[in-house]
Amino acid sequence: MLASLILIPLAVALAIVVLPAASARATALLGTLAAAAMTVVALVQFDWTQGAVMQFLASVPWLPSLGISLSFGADSVSMLLIALAALLGPICVLASWTAITERVKTYYAWLLILQAAMVGVFVARDLIFFYICFEFTLVPMYVLISLYGSTNRKRAATTFFLYTFTGSVIALAGLAYVAWFNSTLPFDQMTGVGGSWTFDISTLQTAASNHMNLAQQSMVLLALLCGFAVKVPLFPVHTWLPLAHTEAPTAGSVILAGVLLKLGTYGIFRFGIGYTPDAFVAFAPYIAVLCIIGILYGGLICWVQTDVKKLVAYSSVAHLGFCVLGLAALNHAGIQGSILYMINHGLSTGALFLLIGFMYERYHTRSMKEVGGLAAKMPVWATFMVFFVMASVGLPGLNGFVSEFLCMLGTFQASDSWSLGLWGSEKAATIGATRGNLGPWYAAVASTGVIIAAMYLLIMVGKVVFGPLKEPGGHDSHGSHGGSHGGSHGGSHGGSHGSNGHGAAAHGHSHLPADLTAREITALMPLAIACLVFGLYPTPLFQALKAPVNEAIAHVYPPPQLETPGTENQPGRNDPTGLIGSVGTAQEVSR
Amino acid sequence: MPSAFLGVLVLNPASSLDSMLDSMLVLAATPATVAKAPIIAGDPLALLVPALPILGLILCTLCAIFRVKSKLPAFLTVACLAGAFVVTAKLFTGHDGGVSIASGFQWMTLSWGEEPGQRFIADFSLYLDSLTILWMLFVTGLATLIALYASEYMSHDVGLGYCRFFAAFNLFVFSMACLVMGDNLLLLFLGWEGVGLCSYLLIGYFYKKPSAVAAAKKAFIMNRIGDVGLILGVMLTFVHFGSIEYREIFAAAQPYIDLAKAGKFSEIPAIVQLIPILLAVGAFGKSAQLPLYVWLPDAMEGPTPVSALIHAATMVTAGVYLVARTYPLFLLSEYALPIVAWTGALTALVAATIGMAQFDIKRIMAYSTVSQLGYMFAGLGVLTSTGAAFHVVTHAFFKALLFLSCGAIMHGFAGQLDLRKLSGVGFMKGWGVVGLGMFVGCMNLAGFPFTAGYFSKDMILAEAFVTPGMAPIGWILLLTAGLTAYYTFRVFFRVVVGPMHYEPGDELHHAEEDSHGHDHHGASEADAAHAADAAHGHAHTHDDHAHHEHGHGAHFHPHAPGWAINTVLATLSVASIAAAGLYFVKSPYEGGMAHGGAVPGMVERSSAAFETPFSHHGVGESHETIKEGGHEGADGHAPAHAEGGAPSFVPTSIAKSQGEAAHAGSFLGWDPHKVMYYVSGVVGFVGIFIAFILHYAGRRTAATARADALLPAFGPLAGWAQNKWYVDELYDLVVRTPLWIVANIFHLFDKIVIDGLVRLVGGIPRFIGGMVRPTQSGELHGYAAGMAAGVAVLLFLVFMLTMR
Repeated sequence: MLASLILIPLAVALAIVVLPAASARATALLGTLAAAAMTVVALVQFDWTQGAVMQFLASVPWLPSLGISLSFGADSVSMLLIALAALLGPICVLASWTAITERVKTYYAWLLILQAAMVGVFVARDLIFFYICFEFTLVPMYVLISLYGSTNRKRAATTFFLYTFTGSVIALAGLAYVAWFNSTLPFDQMTGVGGSWTFDISTLQTAASNHMNLAQQSMVLLALLCGFAVKVPLFPVHTWLPLAHTEAPTAGSVILAGVLLKLGTYGIFRFGIGYTPDAFVAFAPYIAVLCIIGILYGGLICWVQTDVKKLVAYSSVAHLGFCVLGLAALNHAGIQGSILYMINHGLSTGALFLLIGFMYERYHTRSMKEVGGLAAKMPVWATFMVFFVMASVGLPGLNGFVSEFLCMLGTFQASDSWSLGLWGSEKAATIGATRGNLGPWYAAVASTGVIIAAMYLLIMVGKVVFGPLKEPGGHDSHGSHGGSHGGSHGGSHGGSHGSNGHGAAAHGHSHLPADLTAREITALMPLAIACLVFGLYPTPLFQALKAPVNEAIAHVYPPPQLETPGTENQPGRNDPTGLIGSVGTAQEVSR
Repeated sequence: MPSAFLGVLVLNPASSLDSMLDSMLVLAATPATVAKAPIIAGDPLALLVPALPILGLILCTLCAIFRVKSKLPAFLTVACLAGAFVVTAKLFTGHDGGVSIASGFQWMTLSWGEEPGQRFIADFSLYLDSLTILWMLFVTGLATLIALYASEYMSHDVGLGYCRFFAAFNLFVFSMACLVMGDNLLLLFLGWEGVGLCSYLLIGYFYKKPSAVAAAKKAFIMNRIGDVGLILGVMLTFVHFGSIEYREIFAAAQPYIDLAKAGKFSEIPAIVQLIPILLAVGAFGKSAQLPLYVWLPDAMEGPTPVSALIHAATMVTAGVYLVARTYPLFLLSEYALPIVAWTGALTALVAATIGMAQFDIKRIMAYSTVSQLGYMFAGLGVLTSTGAAFHVVTHAFFKALLFLSCGAIMHGFAGQLDLRKLSGVGFMKGWGVVGLGMFVGCMNLAGFPFTAGYFSKDMILAEAFVTPGMAPIGWILLLTAGLTAYYTFRVFFRVVVGPMHYEPGDELHHAEEDSHGHDHHGASEADAAHAADAAHGHAHTHDDHAHHEHGHGAHFHPHAPGWAINTVLATLSVASIAAAGLYFVKSPYEGGMAHGGAVPGMVERSSAAFETPFSHHGVGESHETIKEGGHEGADGHAPAHAEGGAPSFVPTSIAKSQGEAAHAGSFLGWDPHKVMYYVSGVVGFVGIFIAFILHYAGRRTAATARADALLPAFGPLAGWAQNKWYVDELYDLVVRTPLWIVANIFHLFDKIVIDGLVRLVGGIPRFIGGMVRPTQSGELHGYAAGMAAGVAVLLFLVFMLTMR
């Protein structure tokens, strides 16, 4: 089942390479639709009442001697992220329909390979398999940016590649260390831990979280963060993102913002919390501080941007700050909010990138100094723009609010100091509080990011959507009344238009009508509907995520009475079976 | 301890020491022992109130999609909103004064355990009590009328713009319904931000105009500042009480209420006392109080029906609603209500001074709205939530009337709003209804005796003198009442009566296929260029009136309002007058308060009552009792005073700050309740008289119409007031500019880091780039090799480090 989600895009990529270029985009659309349909089947078959249990398990031995296998499995967190990737697939093809006119086969083939790699990350139950997929997403993205990006694309692609590659190699070191650590442990019949090399994600989780001491966990966590924080990206290592986003083609940006960034947060959730829970608790305040700096710093930088795409790119830095902040809260509201944030950010920011792409296709500029007041020209586009900006701003009733609020609520609750009698709480039980190292100050500071978000996004809307109509010089003004721009401009654009977007040089007249086409509206509608539905009725998502999130929290803060071994993966670190003692042995062995 | 009080008037014998101890003990175990308050299922019909505007929104959207070019969207909207009003009226007639919950669907509900505080519940359910119904009655009623008015007012925009306007209008009413009817703080927040969005969309309705876009943005951002306070308050409420549903909060707050009644504020945890202050920040943002008021005058960029509905009658009273709804929480803090009272009083004064110096009649009305909202907050702060709510209701009618009358003038005089350029409008042919509307509205706003505005304002004023320690607020409000009377009649004497004279505005209707009519609002010079443009535009035919030619000078004829506008103005005039009757009508429920009439009668049955549900005394009686307690505390006679708390609801700080405690509760030695009728009446007369002298008696010809006699007398003060005391500039200097500089520094830093890093690793990419550029397969191999090498090196390092 899950393997087919990887194989379908790969097969379609192969078909695109084989078939003539003229049919490439149609093939790609069909392929992504088939993958989406298959995802729907998987979503239906998935047992949502058992969200925490890995389902559709399958395994093919690969290098048995090293314990490496191609094993698949998905819990509800994975399933939702797969669904996001599958949803964005056809949308990306639709968005590239007219924008990509050169080297079409290469483009769509890589797009589908990217799709496969992303799904692979979410379904992998083997560390090596995970890592290969994780790394491999870089290659298609590199190609998409460096071949189909705008002016500065080479530099952007290289920066992007080196930045994330360097980070993830360090993460690999951390993961490899865990595998090696496991191999040094004595074999444990019950959990399957120790004895020999294995890269099974669950086994290693037991090994790492149960047997590593805090110092070892901290080291592993730092290594993991090097990889995942770059991907997210968190504050000091975010600088590749604006560049990559600005230069990437529209579909590239959509995928990048929609799914690729989530690989980082997903990694932190799976491995940061899963493998190194104690260290994560200890590091949570520092991670949270980085997140909050990112929220404010990214937001303020957005404010001074003139390039719309760069603005939205920087807004991702701010938004994902909230997302990781929720993870750092390590409580139910925070982690649920964070996982929902991954999806919601993908929907709303993905849509914003689409809209900016549609505008770019028409005006060949993204500068707020050159275009403005497009509501007069493109009312449908403007409506969508305002809608998705509001989703991104976190307007209640739309999806962004649900996750942003939960992340903040989680942060607010997560303070041991509530029970220590700070905040005047000695006189009152703060029954809504949870364990954790953050607290109201973190939430209060982070919440100012909400004001900043309103500022920069509304400034953007105020300039680009509203205000007097302003179109770049050289752009045919199409007559001011909507309608009647059919093929009259059809012949006027040369081959240089679109695909490689040679910046200002390519002021070819777009053959597109003034306002959005049916194809473009089709690409946007699913996202708009999802934003509205998840904003007004997120209950199914809450229910789906409840079990895995609860399990993750129980993993971090084991309930005291956890004496029932055999609860699948984690018997808890205070395991009375004497395994703690064996850590000592393991360390002696290692010395 | 009776933990459930809502819905039933259950009482709490908390005045004795024993029960105090009792509640202290209970307090320690509060979380576990709080029983779930009983839920009385409400009339599911109530769900239609938010649902009908949504239907209207969908219909308007369909109209936009099918390019309907008629007034259809307006009439669909009117129908839907009228339906909502009828449903609300039905709820009102069927309401017994209790609390019930009409359950909708689950919105944000998640749980992570079975203990209290481990369930976060924010459902789409409606909380039906008298306060909710009171608010929805005037919201839906006014919305229907104003939609009817707008059907004519916006007629120059028939087409996409018309659909857009009414879609946002419907969305607004829906949001307002969520805000008012939501059974939890998060649903209130949904409505709260929803009305903010609609306000944004409608202020920026004339989106081609930079000033409108800027005003819309400013409104949204200023509101967001308040919203952050509110949302933090919501989170703190959840962390402390373990719920954000009103009935649960109120039940859980019961022990603290007992403490507060005993004046033992020091026993109430600081976090509980912080909650109302955070909520107040949100309320100040939405209701345009100091220091967050600057967006409201700018919001007048929107079409006038919007100003009337959103920025005068309904949305801006949301802050008052929030405080009234969570009044039990506000009573828990020593400082919350004094903060509310002082903020309100100072806002009332400051806004009135600015309003005195403006020339744009719509802006004067905007400042008067800010000022009157200040009154309402002051009313809440001086413990007369009933008076505040009554003022909200009367104000909603007369201010909507005033705005719509101004709108009619603006509509007819091509955007002219300068009171120096209009005169004698009320006596022009066809303008009688407008003149009458202005007259009724001005009388109410000025607090002319026996108008509705007079009675409601009076309740607040009297109560300010009654409540210990709040006398200074009473004096400020009394002064403001005089100023209000003056500036209101300044408008009236200049614009409505006097010699007939007008200069048309610089904005003309200018219909285009695609919506975007121009704002008729010719307030700022910045529009002049734009307007000149419009003047050359073609004259066009109105759909519903006779043909009018628009042009400057001799060609210009003001076009008098049509039937829709006149009907609405007449209805509102009657309603504004009739609202005074509410003061004499008995409470619709059993056992209502003797004083104040129907509206206070409704408020006192809700959580906004500052004591009813918590006391077993008869309402009026206990009202006095508490006040008496206040005196005693201030005089130092009460036993509890020794413990540092005044034995009343009146926070200690108030009681202490009152130097002449003997004067508390009196107005210069008289009973404020009795004497205030005369005092405020006289103050109103004085204000009107001064306005008469300066703006009517001394102004017989059109030539003198240009001078404003009072302004020079005040020297620079007048100029400062005219420039709104430079608050906008202050914000710019203190907040915006520093942030902007910081943002630029960050941006620069970011750029340098990017460039620096790229240059740092520049050698490597060139090497790799050279290797991979030729073909794509080369890339793969190159990177695969790089990957492997990197991994090997790092692994080796790790092994070396850990194995030692």
